[in-house]
Amino acid sequence: MLELRKDIFADERDDNLKEIGKGTQRQDMLGHVTGTSSYFNDHKLQGMLHLKVVRSTHSHARIRRIDTADADRSAGVRRIIRGSDVPRNLNTLLSLINFGKDDEPSLAVDKVRYKGEPILAIVADSEREAFEAIAKVRIDYEPLPTVFDVEDALKPGAPVVNETYPKNAFIYHDVYDHQKLRFGDADAALATADHVLEQRYQMSPIEHAPTETNGSIAAPDTNGRYVVYTSTQALFFSVDTCAKILDVPSNTFHFIGGTVGGGFGGKVDTLTEPLCILGAMLTGRPVRYVFGREEEMQYGPPRGAERIYIKDGVMRDGRVVARKIRAYFDSGAYTRLSSYAAVKCAAHLPGPYTIPNVYGDVYCVFTNRTPATAMRGFGVTAMDFAIECQMDKLANLVGMDPMEFRILNAYRDGDMKAHRREAKNTALIECVQVAAEKAKWPIRDEFKRASSRKDGGGSRAAIPRTPADTHARTIAPAQQRTTYDRLPAAALHEPPREPPPPAPPPPPSPRPASPSHGAGRFSSVFGTRRR
Amino acid sequence: MTVTVKTFTSSSEAAAALSSDRNARYLGGGTLVMRALNEGDISLSTVVRANDQALMRIDPSGPRITLGAGVTFARILGERDLSFLHAPARSIGGPAVRNMGTVGGNLFAPNPYGDFTVALLALDATVALQGGFGSRDIPIEEFLQSRDRQAGTLVLSVSCTRPTSAEAFRYRKIARIKPKGGSVITLAAHLPISGGRIAGARIALGSMAPTQIRARAAERALEGRALDAATVAAAASAAAEGTSPSDSALGSAWYRREIVGVHLRRLLLGQE
Repeated sequence: MLELRKDIFADERDDNLKEIGKGTQRQDMLGHVTGTSSYFNDHKLQGMLHLKVVRSTHSHARIRRIDTADADRSAGVRRIIRGSDVPRNLNTLLSLINFGKDDEPSLAVDKVRYKGEPILAIVADSEREAFEAIAKVRIDYEPLPTVFDVEDALKPGAPVVNETYPKNAFIYHDVYDHQKLRFGDADAALATADHVLEQRYQMSPIEHAPTETNGSIAAPDTNGRYVVYTSTQALFFSVDTCAKILDVPSNTFHFIGGTVGGGFGGKVDTLTEPLCILGAMLTGRPVRYVFGREEEMQYGPPRGAERIYIKDGVMRDGRVVARKIRAYFDSGAYTRLSSYAAVKCAAHLPGPYTIPNVYGDVYCVFTNRTPATAMRGFGVTAMDFAIECQMDKLANLVGMDPMEFRILNAYRDGDMKAHRREAKNTALIECVQVAAEKAKWPIRDEFKRASSRKDGGGSRAAIPRTPADTHARTIAPAQQRTTYDRLPAAALHEPPREPPPPAPPPPPSPRPASPSHGAGRFSSVFGTRRR
Repeated sequence: MTVTVKTFTSSSEAAAALSSDRNARYLGGGTLVMRALNEGDISLSTVVRANDQALMRIDPSGPRITLGAGVTFARILGERDLSFLHAPARSIGGPAVRNMGTVGGNLFAPNPYGDFTVALLALDATVALQGGFGSRDIPIEEFLQSRDRQAGTLVLSVSCTRPTSAEAFRYRKIARIKPKGGSVITLAAHLPISGGRIAGARIALGSMAPTQIRARAAERALEGRALDAATVAAAASAAAEGTSPSDSALGSAWYRREIVGVHLRRLLLGQE
């Protein structure tokens, strides 16, 4: 059982709760049902301006020229914001925990990488005037070859979507283009398995479809601060992201959130706040930036699509002896949170089962699609769909009841999981038993008697001999290249470059030299860039 | 430029305001116009409304029924005499949209909407229009063919003949999300039977062309024949003839052509 150290956490949990079976009111429910909950968009500030963005009409194109002459003269236009106006026009969300490289501009500068990417922000007296000015912007594009398929994107010669990651794959620990899991010898086990089943699973992007679209209102406050009403579901995350992009200390902002009109992961990307605050900084007026419904559906980030290949080896008696998985997360044009989804996915393999030989390669891939983000169990949900479809097919293949098949292969307390942690508090067997009982699904007595707490560990706790991959190690400097300084193939074999000479110490600055948003404090499970 | 809202007490004044301003749009229930405004449609700068009670009138009795352009789908669903139109009315949006959406506005709804109009097309409806030069009645098919040029006219009402029996009129909307999804395809069939044979077959399709259209080849396959399996098979195989569907998020043009015959067969045979 989970143990709570009461000597340390004496006040942490009331062990005498008696809530189950009672009707307990959610704290925000009264406001919702009486229509009195306050959302960010319920604030109408004096002199408030409205911000709308000009979005790319191409999925991949170089921007040759942006002509705003007519738009500048359009009625009601207060300010047109370009990429060059954004103090730090390159960011990646998880840089706040030192994970990944800055790869996404707030406003595109040299090229656009997905259809709908923001290029300009227009601040005007009314939404209507902002829309009218948008219609007067002329952008000269040079279309580039596109790639929309994750496996095509990884092929040599594929169009480079995002120059920060020239091989179209997120790079882990500065070296690895995928998450790798090796446990035992899956190939050898597949060769001796009675049946081998290989299947391909493809998921589509899923829109969060919140009732309230993404948006924020920023207004100048006293002492050079800004008050920001926002729909964000990750308020402090958004504060720090804005502080980084706008290059000011995070205490410049007073963020007011709280009531989110539906988030589900679609409101962590901090898409509206930085431009909204910048608009307020540049005009000295309150500025409101809210996605329209079409913007939310078409260009708001979805759950990413995934492609998953599973190859399983199963014995006639129903034991799964090997599971080999290749998975591709479609991150779209930028990282957002998909790099983390791939980590979660790899950590979840091979599902809640004890399989002695597991092999997993999980890629986070860049394509010219709308950037994907978090959504309810992202990284695990689609993989679980694939694994459970596979379990049904395997049960059918060996002629076993699918419930019994799962109990037979379920992990138990004391088993060694594929990522070399002992399984604790396992309960899949009990879940299946209850599900079978509730569904009046007959299972045999021996499976009714099975328990997660029995028959685990022992030989199931051993870490099997795991052969090392034979192929050559990825060459570390490769990911430093961009399309602009592509090296000849021979140059890949050059010795490691000399480290650059240490920079002279910076002059004392009123601001701390390290980023004010606190990056660098966390040494995460992902491994930091400075590892 | 700001958006101007003009409200008139008579439909003729509203029609005059519409015909004199190319950027004017008539606001019925607002389910199309308000969406366009919210999404930044700058082609629209004047909103015209009319409080004329004549637009709200329902004449549900008798062999020919008339619906004012401002009649909502919720009101149609409340009329027992209009039960033959309940299936198409119920297939539109959710309760909120049905409370606001109107018969007149539906005539202008682009794909994948405009399902009620599919039913009206199968029923050979007549559209009463008020233009700058007075009012006139035109067949709905002619109206739909010239819909893009009708922006300056105001629809006053729609009338159609009541089907002779409940069996004679059939309607089905194929959607991926039920009950509120947009149409993959919408089908309506009016098949009056005279002496055991179909006389005056009408098949109308939604989302199979830029506007709602009649499936004339399928109608010819049905005309003068008994509604038996062979006739239905012939009509089904001719269903896609003359259609020009396009790709959308709900379905590709290829898919729509593939399934239209299947759904027509099921509709005519009364299968689920």
